[in-house]
Amino acid sequence: MVRLKDRYLLVNIVYTDVQPGHAKGPVSDLMLYNQPTTGELKPQHLLKAVRSEVNALFGDCGSGAVGGLQVKYLSQATSTFILRISRDHYRLVWAALSFMNRLPFKDGRPCVYRVVRVSGTIRKVEEEAVRRAKLFILAAKEEMAGKPTSGALDALLRGKEQGRSLAMVVDDDGDDLGRDDSEMGLDG
Amino acid sequence: MDRSSKNSGGKLPEVRKRKDAPAGTNSQQTRPNNSRANKRVKFQDARNIRSQPPDAALDDGRLDLEKFLKAREYEIKALESSMQKCKEVNATRVFQQVPRAMRRRTASHNVKRVPKRLRGRARREMIEDNTPTVESRRRRPRTTRARIRAETAKRLGMLAAKQRRKRTEKAAVEGKEVAATPEVIQSRAPRPKIRRNVLNDPPKTTSKFRKRQVNKTWLPTHLWHSKRARMTEPGKPLWRFAIPLTPTEKCYRPTHRASGQKGAVVWDTSYMSTIGLYGLTEGAKRVLRALGLTQEALWGARGQKWRAGLRKWSGFLSKRRKDGRRNIGPATIVWNPEAPTDEGESVESTPPTNSQKQLLIRTHPACFLEVFNELLKLARMQSPQMHIEDLRFEIGSIEIVGPGSTEALIGILKPYYDNVEVEGCQGRIFESLAEVTNPSSLPKDAALAFSIRDPRLSYPPKRVAIPSGMDQSLVETLTNWPIEQHLQPYGLYDRNARHKASQLPSQKSINRRKGSSLPGKELCVTSADPPIPIMLLASRPEMTGQAQGVWTLLAPWKCILPIWYSLMHYPLSTGGNPRLGGLDEQRQVAFEQGSPWFPGDFPGTDAGVDWELRSREKRRSAWDRRPKGKRVEWKSLELGGGRKGEVGDGLACDFEYLFRLPKGAESNARVMGSSAGDDPDSMELDHPEEGDRVLSSKAHPPHPFAMIAHITKSVFNEFTSAPDATTLPQHSIVTVGLGFVSRGVANTCARIYRLPTRAQFVSEPSTQAEVPATDPPPPTSPEALPYDLKEQWLLKLQPTSQQRGRHPPAPPRMPPGADIQTRKRLQARSISAGEFPTGPKAKANQTDIGTHPLCPGEEDLIGFVTTGSFCLSEGKGMAIGSISAEKAAESLKMGAEEGKLCIVRNAGENVGWLARWELV
Repeated sequence: MVRLKDRYLLVNIVYTDVQPGHAKGPVSDLMLYNQPTTGELKPQHLLKAVRSEVNALFGDCGSGAVGGLQVKYLSQATSTFILRISRDHYRLVWAALSFMNRLPFKDGRPCVYRVVRVSGTIRKVEEEAVRRAKLFILAAKEEMAGKPTSGALDALLRGKEQGRSLAMVVDDDGDDLGRDDSEMGLDG
Repeated sequence: MDRSSKNSGGKLPEVRKRKDAPAGTNSQQTRPNNSRANKRVKFQDARNIRSQPPDAALDDGRLDLEKFLKAREYEIKALESSMQKCKEVNATRVFQQVPRAMRRRTASHNVKRVPKRLRGRARREMIEDNTPTVESRRRRPRTTRARIRAETAKRLGMLAAKQRRKRTEKAAVEGKEVAATPEVIQSRAPRPKIRRNVLNDPPKTTSKFRKRQVNKTWLPTHLWHSKRARMTEPGKPLWRFAIPLTPTEKCYRPTHRASGQKGAVVWDTSYMSTIGLYGLTEGAKRVLRALGLTQEALWGARGQKWRAGLRKWSGFLSKRRKDGRRNIGPATIVWNPEAPTDEGESVESTPPTNSQKQLLIRTHPACFLEVFNELLKLARMQSPQMHIEDLRFEIGSIEIVGPGSTEALIGILKPYYDNVEVEGCQGRIFESLAEVTNPSSLPKDAALAFSIRDPRLSYPPKRVAIPSGMDQSLVETLTNWPIEQHLQPYGLYDRNARHKASQLPSQKSINRRKGSSLPGKELCVTSADPPIPIMLLASRPEMTGQAQGVWTLLAPWKCILPIWYSLMHYPLSTGGNPRLGGLDEQRQVAFEQGSPWFPGDFPGTDAGVDWELRSREKRRSAWDRRPKGKRVEWKSLELGGGRKGEVGDGLACDFEYLFRLPKGAESNARVMGSSAGDDPDSMELDHPEEGDRVLSSKAHPPHPFAMIAHITKSVFNEFTSAPDATTLPQHSIVTVGLGFVSRGVANTCARIYRLPTRAQFVSEPSTQAEVPATDPPPPTSPEALPYDLKEQWLLKLQPTSQQRGRHPPAPPRMPPGADIQTRKRLQARSISAGEFPTGPKAKANQTDIGTHPLCPGEEDLIGFVTTGSFCLSEGKGMAIGSISAEKAAESLKMGAEEGKLCIVRNAGENVGWLARWELV
């Protein structure tokens, strides 16, 4: 029996139109970057945007390859979504996401689509999403308490492997699974 | 219709591949469809992850920490519940919840095969999945034979009903009352006939099963085993028995664990044959000596305990032939102790009197007939004559190995007599051994015999209380082993005692007694429960070390089943129950302990020859069945150095080739029972079962394989210590264990070579100074092997040889990020450094096989592997094989260390691996 192999991509939408250090009052930088997305964003919009980007980057061949793209989960409140794509072509989608810089509307807000986890099963992606949500809670609480260096925030930025520096991750584009693509630093 | 309501709900996709059935069709057809739709909705629902709109994270359009955190918490909950739901809705069937060991194949279509609490769900699932559930009773006969049978059965039933009706009518007319049940006349069960000096018939079975046992005999636990193990094929019994080969569940690793670390493995070895030998002491001594028990230790003071029946003897039996002795097979011999004549007299002080003696000889069914014929011949030669009895179906046996074996046996074997005076203290001593986790810690070859209660009286078996910490009394018991007190003749030798034990009360009556007593209370022994005479033999593996010993339990044939049931249900203190084992597991345990298994690893005995010929046939038919492209083509195997083709027959342990014996006319001619040099008048006996086979083989000339003789370790050692005084029989082989030095796993039929020995052609010393001394020139003729082949192999002994071997290191790689100038410079330097080839390059596989040394030549072939695989207990490849004794002795002259090195190459492969052989 032939088994269809998929990849699941966990993506965060990070807003880039906020200046660092401009947070006022009871709102931290972290919350500003990860603020909720507008309710108008529907799965269809995302699909359409990714497909058109793939088409622009890889042509007809590329857009044909990502025909099976699906949105498994979209939470506007946390600006998180999960995409499903066949295993052979997930890099096209990833590349397209890296090149998108706005919400998929006319004059959409500038943002960055950050792929935080690629996995072969949705379960592992879900587990990662839960882990990150927990870290977000921790980091937000710590930031509000006024701690200058927050461990949870570090963990959020660096992903699972604590020892890896950002520079190495940028170099290492040959890896495909379970690696964080975190060249999009928050302070960029 | 409820489906339309579902459709309107919007959960189902609008486009459907299958049309709806018309409204008029019966509901039976639409139901599965409907349920499938329901299932689909269920799946979609479960896979949907809930999410929140953005307003949930905003406080009236502004960012708010409280709401921000709430949104994340909601997300965590949603994802976790999604994972849980997905797992629950997974496509599993209810019978998958049953533990693996308890699953039945029929459970997928028969609800009665799953536990009661799961039956409802199983039934529902079967309806949902449209599983065909057919009751075999109501199935229409398919074949003509089955149809005729069914019709006959129907007609007979009608006839019987008619007669019954007539009878009742007649009785009504005569005015008599018809007795509801005909009167049953109770009669004494007949004692089974055991004829002297003649083979016995297998036990009479119920008529229902008789037809299936025409060509074979079932073990007492056959019905139990056939549900849980793969048995021998109905048409091809093994040694005339239906023997469980391997359990149906996967058990290679669990068996390894249970036999060595935790638990126990149990076999029903009732197929092992027992022979009784009766006569005077002197005659028995002569018979045993003639069977090869010539060690002086046995007949001197050291063998006193054995002759008194306190120990067993295990070893190889052999018989005399014109050209020396020939080994028959392994056997265990136990004497029956004599009744004490005087109270104060102890065993040691009794003078050797020439009194009547009884012996049990337990041997393997593969060599039973040979032993029986030999014994018969020897017993008749004695004066006064001795006699033998075939006790094959009188005495059955169970073998159990593992750390929990002693505990399990103690849990189910309860001594019948509490009084030490009646039967000696062996039962009591056995009960004190609960702490023992390895039967080899008992005195060597210990034998215990006592009578036990019916194990069903205390069924289900309860866990034995094991005293914590090493008790001093146990150490004392193990060292002193005081079993001589009140020694009585063992009940197992007594025909009447065995017969009495076979009259166990029925399960029905046991159940009735249980019902009338308090729940959970053990039943008391009544006069209806006879004592069951048993004997326990503790054997130690041949190899020294921490290997587990084996308990062998001998009991009357009919008592094996109740003992087996209790044993399989004994709750071990380490958890679980004893595991079931088959023939394959027996071979596995023997292999892991490094001991050879009879008959497979003894190709120099008649039984081993038969086994080898059989397995050759099996291998050949398996090879024939494979498509041409996917099987090894023996002729085109390239061995390197210009040699082509497998050495000998690739599908056989080709000892005929090794000894240059003539090829048999019929490769599959059977050799059985007697081979060349056997006394022909031993065949006068009538063999009710084996006769046909033996006679048919008699017509053929013996297979050349049968000329190969097995010699034991001690004979071989005698020869090597004094090669002038003793001579080896012609074509003799000795069994060895092989351990690989580094890598490598051998399979059956792998070839064993010694280190290359022949005088090599030495090439003229080269005048060229550049030629490195370690790199020899290619051989001049294609047949010649490299002259330093032996050194190449010896180099493999050193663990670091791979790093500093004679092969040049890999060329240096270009450093990453070097610019074009650097690259050029490096390139030039590498060329000027003299990377030119030193001469014409040798052809592939000429001097080595991918940098691996070549296999030695045919003249260095010394033997074959009979069993080999990766060994879990050693963590590397191990093998058992047989090598030519003459060549082994020759190579031992090279030195004890180097002489035991050999090269093992699997049949059909061209790479050999270095190994060390050790006599076993």
